[in-house]
Amino acid sequence: MRKVWAVVRREFVERVRTRWFWVSAILGPVFFAGVVFVPILLARGGGIRRIVVVDGTTSALGERVAQVLSAGRSFRAERIVAGVGALDSLTAEVGAKRLDGFLVVSNDLIETGKAEYRGSNVSSMQAMEELQRALSRLVVKARLEREGVDAGVVDRAQIRIDLDTKKISRGRTTAESAGGTFFVAYIMAVLLFMAILLYGINVMSSVLEEKTTRIVEVLVSSLRPFELMLGKVLGVGAVSFFQFFIWGVSGRLLLTQRQALLSRMAGDVDASRAFQMPHIPAGTIAIFLGFFLGGFLLYSAMFAAVGAMSSNEQEARQAQQPVTYLLMISYLSIFALTNDPNSSFSIWLSMIPFTSPIAMPVRWTAGSLPMTEVVLSLALLALGIAAVTWVAAKIYRVGILMTGKRPSLKELVRWVRA
Amino acid sequence: MPEAVVAVDRITKRFAGHTAVDALSLSVAPGIIYGLLGPNGAGKTTTIRMIMSVIVPDEGTVRLFGTMGSGRAQSARIGFLPEERGLYPKMRVLDVLVFLAETKGVERRVARAKGTEWLERLGLADWRMRKVSDLSKGMQQKVQFISTILHDPDLVILDEPFSGLDPVNSQVLRDTVVDWRRRGKTILFSTHIMEHAEKLCDQLCIIARGKKLVDGALSTVKEQHGGRHVTVAFDGNQGAAAQVFADRRLVARVQDFGQEAELEIAPEADAQEILRALVGSGARLARFELVRPSLHKIFVDLVGPDAATAAAVPGVGEARA
Repeated sequence: MRKVWAVVRREFVERVRTRWFWVSAILGPVFFAGVVFVPILLARGGGIRRIVVVDGTTSALGERVAQVLSAGRSFRAERIVAGVGALDSLTAEVGAKRLDGFLVVSNDLIETGKAEYRGSNVSSMQAMEELQRALSRLVVKARLEREGVDAGVVDRAQIRIDLDTKKISRGRTTAESAGGTFFVAYIMAVLLFMAILLYGINVMSSVLEEKTTRIVEVLVSSLRPFELMLGKVLGVGAVSFFQFFIWGVSGRLLLTQRQALLSRMAGDVDASRAFQMPHIPAGTIAIFLGFFLGGFLLYSAMFAAVGAMSSNEQEARQAQQPVTYLLMISYLSIFALTNDPNSSFSIWLSMIPFTSPIAMPVRWTAGSLPMTEVVLSLALLALGIAAVTWVAAKIYRVGILMTGKRPSLKELVRWVRA
Repeated sequence: MPEAVVAVDRITKRFAGHTAVDALSLSVAPGIIYGLLGPNGAGKTTTIRMIMSVIVPDEGTVRLFGTMGSGRAQSARIGFLPEERGLYPKMRVLDVLVFLAETKGVERRVARAKGTEWLERLGLADWRMRKVSDLSKGMQQKVQFISTILHDPDLVILDEPFSGLDPVNSQVLRDTVVDWRRRGKTILFSTHIMEHAEKLCDQLCIIARGKKLVDGALSTVKEQHGGRHVTVAFDGNQGAAAQVFADRRLVARVQDFGQEAELEIAPEADAQEILRALVGSGARLARFELVRPSLHKIFVDLVGPDAATAAAVPGVGEARA
């Protein structure tokens, strides 16, 4: 066992020492920060816009538009009365960047609902939405008042609808929203897919390296091939958990400290408004890690066998494709899984060991399922790991000493039977 | 006689199409240098791999240090340098040595100290924190040798250790091997270069096509298989030497070059009798010398010219563990 430990340790230390490891350790949180902060910063859309309301109305509507907009989040509006040449001079002002844009309102607004905004930037969704909302509220109000409805009634009638969706999970209402649920499921699927693939391929290259440098002959004279494979898989697995740990801690720090960070980065921004990181319960994290471990063990055994049967990088890249496709099945099924977590397709996917490592965590997040299904899936996965490792170890121990051409399928079958 | 360090009993290994090793038996006594000789493709590497339990024999058994079971069970006591040797190119030199020693059961701390010590001894101290890939080929070979003996094994098994070595490193290795024997270690090595074997071996075994042709002490093999030869040189007068040469009771074969002749001594005869007969014949002798044929000659005689120039066996072939 001490020998296996030596292999585990070597794999871990050598990998953690590489630049590659630290690049991805840092890029992970950077990406995460991007997901959290960029929408907030983008939503600000470059701060407050200075605009002019060109008032061509004969009522107080133009004045009110300017007031309502200035009271909002995105605009500081000033009203001028429409006149000859006003539009041209304002366009010049915008061109000289002294002004962000101008809004033209006329009496037509109440009749036809038409207004015109010209500005240097019209692509900020949030700002344009705010503009539109303000105008439509005012138009509705003006029309109703014209029909003799009391202004107070109109104000009371106009409330903003805010649909809050909450998921019911295992008979309890959770804090998760529909969008948040999909987001979590999607991120989990991406992470699982990437991590299993990445670390599986790590195992493969490690096997290949020992084979091509021929150091494997010395190694198997002191360790059983299975011990060597086991040490390799565990060592690379430990690296992946270490990576997750770094990501987890930094992600948590980013989330809890984001208001402070944002204030420092961009001044007065309300972080809570923009992107709500869905709450991820501890159970989901446990299931994620559990199925990642299972999926990694299953796939890295296959990748180890692929590495052992190849004699160079190109061959290995080719031979790994079937394994990668197998893993992709569940990744590509993520929409089917989240749309209908309880269809028979979803259930099968979450039970078959080759797809369950991704499908089960996604189903778990997307819908409420009984614990028995999770346990059954894990048990099947464990059986799958045992069977696959048994076959992979047979291919591995013959393959690592082979040189020359890649074995045919027939030869592989013979190795496994031997 | 002390118990053999390596006792191989009728091991056989078949690969698809051919038998690589055929019922081979050999026995290596403790404290000697043992040569496993044979042309390329004779089964030397396969034999060594079976001894080291890199592959499992189809038939037969391997006993090491008197206990059942091949290399892996005893790996802490064995240093093994395979024919195709490698190191991890991206690892630091000292880390590789420590790791390989750990797989032999050496404690980390001890391995670190010993590794440093060996690197210093071989002039590689400054390189111990460098990557293996930064080292020259010669330096890498030194590191490989260190890794073979870092755990202070009782038995050292070297597969074609001289291949790829320059003359200087070859000499260093020969000196090292002799030094190991002096310190009581047993060395088993394979080679197809007879000069190396002739200088080093106490005992040897010549195999070809997976079968043993001869084994035993170097001197015995030379006596038994080399025949016994005498070179005679005349100083002018040959007297009746021709009659002596023709006497089949004394001389089995003769190659007469005029002023010199090479005789093969008849089976029942003795060199001293021939000398006496020649002196009696009135010939004036400039030289009378007992010649042992070179191991190379014995090897070629035994293996045959075609096999000596290597049987065409496809590479390592298929290794079935």
